[in-house]
Amino acid sequence: MSITKDFIVEQLKQQIADYKSEIKEQTVGRVIEVGDGIARVSGLSDCMMSEMLEFAVGKHTNSHELQKVYGVALNLEEDSVGAIILGDYTGIKEGDEVKCLKRILEAPVGEAVIGRVINPLGEPLDGKGEIEAKKFYPVEKIAPGVIARESVSQPVQTGIKAIDAMIPIGRGQRELIIGDRQIGKTAIAIDTIINQKGQNMKCVYVAIGQKESKIASIVAKLEEFGAMEYTTVVLAGASDPASLAYIAPYAGCAVAEYFLDKGEDVLIVYDDLSKHAVAYREISLLLRRPPGREAYPGDVFYLHSRLLERACKLNEKHGGGSITALPIIETQSGDVSAYIPTNVISITDGQIYLEPDLFYQGQRPAINAGLSVSRVGSAAQIKAMKKVAGKMRLEAAQYRELAAFAQFGSDLDEETKIKLERGKRLIEIFKQDLYKPVPVANQVLIFYAAISGLLDSVPVEKINEFENGLNKYAENNGKDILKEIAEKGELNEKLEEKMKKLIVDYKLTLDYISAN
Amino acid sequence: MKITPKQYVESLYQSVHNKKDSQIKSVIENFVKLLVANNDMAKADKITCQFIKIWNKEEGIVEAEVVSARELDKKIVKLLNGYIVQLSGARKVLLKQKIDKNVLGGVIIKYEDKILDGSLKMKLNELRNKMIK
Repeated sequence: MSITKDFIVEQLKQQIADYKSEIKEQTVGRVIEVGDGIARVSGLSDCMMSEMLEFAVGKHTNSHELQKVYGVALNLEEDSVGAIILGDYTGIKEGDEVKCLKRILEAPVGEAVIGRVINPLGEPLDGKGEIEAKKFYPVEKIAPGVIARESVSQPVQTGIKAIDAMIPIGRGQRELIIGDRQIGKTAIAIDTIINQKGQNMKCVYVAIGQKESKIASIVAKLEEFGAMEYTTVVLAGASDPASLAYIAPYAGCAVAEYFLDKGEDVLIVYDDLSKHAVAYREISLLLRRPPGREAYPGDVFYLHSRLLERACKLNEKHGGGSITALPIIETQSGDVSAYIPTNVISITDGQIYLEPDLFYQGQRPAINAGLSVSRVGSAAQIKAMKKVAGKMRLEAAQYRELAAFAQFGSDLDEETKIKLERGKRLIEIFKQDLYKPVPVANQVLIFYAAISGLLDSVPVEKINEFENGLNKYAENNGKDILKEIAEKGELNEKLEEKMKKLIVDYKLTLDYISAN
Repeated sequence: MKITPKQYVESLYQSVHNKKDSQIKSVIENFVKLLVANNDMAKADKITCQFIKIWNKEEGIVEAEVVSARELDKKIVKLLNGYIVQLSGARKVLLKQKIDKNVLGGVIIKYEDKILDGSLKMKLNELRNKMIK
C-alpha cells in the first residue's frame, strides 16, 4: 500500500518539477461598448480578420474562475475592433478584458459528430455526452477551385417521384427549395435525408433560426427511420443570438468538408437561408455597416455565394467526394423577386418551386413543374429513369397547357381527351405522402406503366391505391425485375417486356378495372 | 469637409513640436479659436486623449503597469524598467505600480495593449490544467 502511495507522490513531485511555464506575450484589449450580441473592443492592435477572441466575463458567483465567452472579430477599424459574441453576452461589461487567441474560428469535425445534435461551436445539445472530435476544421474556407472539380455525374435519389423524374439532382449540385411558409419545404429535405439510407451518403441538416420544437420533432422522425445513423444536426435555434445563426451554415459545411476530404458523398441542407440573411443583417446593422436594399448589407450576395460555392463534386485526383447542397428559402406570399430569393436563385444550379395553390388543391408535394428547373441534374439521372422520365416530362407539360385550354371548351377531339386523361393520372402519380420515399426501381416501374398507357384503364381516383398495390405485388412476384433496374440502371427490351407483363398480371388481380 | 480629431491632433503636434513654452501658449490659443470657429468644441475630449497617444508615440514614451503581490524594491523596479524598454523599443518608460494580493507572487507587466503574465497564480492555474489532462 505504502509503495503505491510513495510512488504516486514521487510521480507528482516529478511532474511538478518537470513543469516549466513559459511566459507568453498576449495582446489584450478592453470592451468599450456592448450591444445586442456585438462588442466594440479597444486595443488588440494585431488582431486578425475573423480571429477568435476570448472575453473574460466578470467573476462567477461561487468560484474564482472567470467564465469564458468567445467572440469573432469582424470589423477591424482604426482604433477599435468590432466583434460578434458567440454565446451569452449578458455578463459582458464595459472595461472587461479581451484576449486574442491567434486562431481562426474552428468547428469540431469527424465521425464523432454523426448522429448528434450540435450547436455551431460543436457543443452537444442532445445530452448524449461530450463530443470527442480529434480534428477541427476552419469554419470559413475557400471553396475548391476549377482544377479540383468535375461535372456532376451521379444522382442523389431523393425518393420523391416528382423530383427524381422531372427535376433530378446530382451529387455535387446546389438545388434551391423555395416557397412560402408551411407548404412542405422542410418535408422535401427530410424525405431526401431519410431516403439516403444505404446510398452511401452522409447528411448534415443545418437549422438556422428554427423553432426548437420543430427540430425536436425532426430529430425524432429521423431517429424513427434510422436516419440519424448518418446524419448530423447543426442547430442555431430561434432563441440563440444572431451571431450563432450567422456561423451555423459555415460550421455545418465544415462538418461536411471533413467527409468530402475523405472522398465521401455528403448531402447538406440549409434550413433556411432567409433567416440566415436576416441574422447577418442584424449583425451588420449593429456593427454599423451601411445598409443597402431591404436594409441588407452590401455583401449578402457574397455571404451566400461563398457558402454555396463550397458544394462541389471533386475529381478522382482530389478524392472524388462531393457535397450536395439543398438550401431552403422562404418567400413572402410567393414573391420570388425579393432580394434574397433572386440572389440565391442565381447562385444555385436550379430550384424546386413550391406553390401554395397546388398545396391547398391537395397536390403534395406542391411542386410547380413549370417553374422548377435543374440545370445540371439530368446528366446524373440513371438511364432507365431518363428513358421513362423524358417522355413523361413532355406529357406533363402538354397536359398543363391543354388543361388550361380545355377549361373553355367542351368539344374536344379524341386525341386531346386521351392526353388529358393521361395527364390527370400523371399528376396523381406525383402525389406522395410525407416520409414515404419511393426507391428508384419502383419509380421507374410506375412511370413506365403511365407512359406506356397501362394506367389508362385505371380510374384516376384509384391511382394511388393501384400504385401501392403494384409495389406490394412487385415485392412478392417481381423482385428480380426491381433488382435488375436498380443494379443495371438501364432498360432493354427484355426488361421492358417483363415489366409490362408484371403490370398486366397485377391488373388482372384487381376487380375495379374493366376487362378491356 | 469634416476634420477628424486625429487630423486636429496631428497638425497641433506639428505646430507645437520643438517650440518654446511662450510660443506654445499662443499656438494653443489659436488652436482653440479654430475649434470654436469650426464648431468642433465637442471633440475636445477626444482630442486631448489622442494628443497624449500621439505625443507618447512621437517622443518614444511607453506607459506601463506592473502588478505585484507586494511592494517591489527599487532595484527590481529599475530592472523591470530596463526590461520593458528592451521589449517595447521605447526611449522612456513611465512605470506605474499596482499591488494586488491575488497574483500571489511574481509580476504581471502591462504595456500598450500587450500583457506579460509572470504571476504565480497563472503558473499554478496552468499547472492544475496540465495535471487534470
